[in-house]
Amino acid sequence: MDALVNKRIKQILKGDKDAFAEIVDLYQHRLYQVCYRMLGNRHEAEDIAQEAFVRAFINIHTFDQKRKFSTWLYRIATNLCIDRIRKKKPDYYLDAEVKGTEGLDMYSQIATSDELPEEELMKLELQDRIQYEISRLPDKYRSAIVLKYMEELSLQEISEILDLPLGTVKTRIHRGREALRKQLSRQPHI
Amino acid sequence: MNACPERIVHFMHEYLDGEISREHELELKSHLQSCEACQAHMHELSDVVAFVKGAAHIEAPNDFNHSVIARLPKEKSHEGVSK
Repeated sequence: MDALVNKRIKQILKGDKDAFAEIVDLYQHRLYQVCYRMLGNRHEAEDIAQEAFVRAFINIHTFDQKRKFSTWLYRIATNLCIDRIRKKKPDYYLDAEVKGTEGLDMYSQIATSDELPEEELMKLELQDRIQYEISRLPDKYRSAIVLKYMEELSLQEISEILDLPLGTVKTRIHRGREALRKQLSRQPHI
Repeated sequence: MNACPERIVHFMHEYLDGEISREHELELKSHLQSCEACQAHMHELSDVVAFVKGAAHIEAPNDFNHSVIARLPKEKSHEGVSK
């Protein structure tokens, strides 16, 4: 697969857009899936995954062919997702102090306001429930968990995609699992 | 569970990452046999993994490829686009 991809990349470098269309075919589902899991919204996922491919095309000359192409693509896509998530939280909203909460700002309110009442939670289909629980993870844990369990990538590859030391990736996955454990175990007792 | 050494939870995660040493695994197993709280913790973590892995594969929409190609810059030029 890598040999084929590198052959296509050489063609793209010569300006061959059809070769790029083949690259899109090869990776579109994986890239769309990671964007959907990160953003939780199909329209946004489509927009960001498309943007990731456009950036890959524009910057293809910066790709080092000795490396794995999918890692490079995933990195472009996850960076775009994280930017998008951050832009969705306006500053005034996050910095505003909440009345009567003695210094708690909106950061601490986001998670609780996202929480569904138990009767609503019970109505969710399994797939919606999975996406709901994933969406409640802080984004730095979410990206690691999505890449590990939904894209089924190795810890080493995740560390390259997120540009983080291996130890940090492990910590984020550990904390992500613990956060999910608490989310899942709390619900039935409410 | 407060009395349990912190490293036990760390070993659980090493185990889930498939990166646990023989020594740590033995310590984890013997601890789990004697501690119900940690056993429950381990079960919950395994359930979390199964839960997340239960996510269905999602496919890009049918016209995805065409939309990407339509969004590409008209003329490819290294100089023009990179900042």
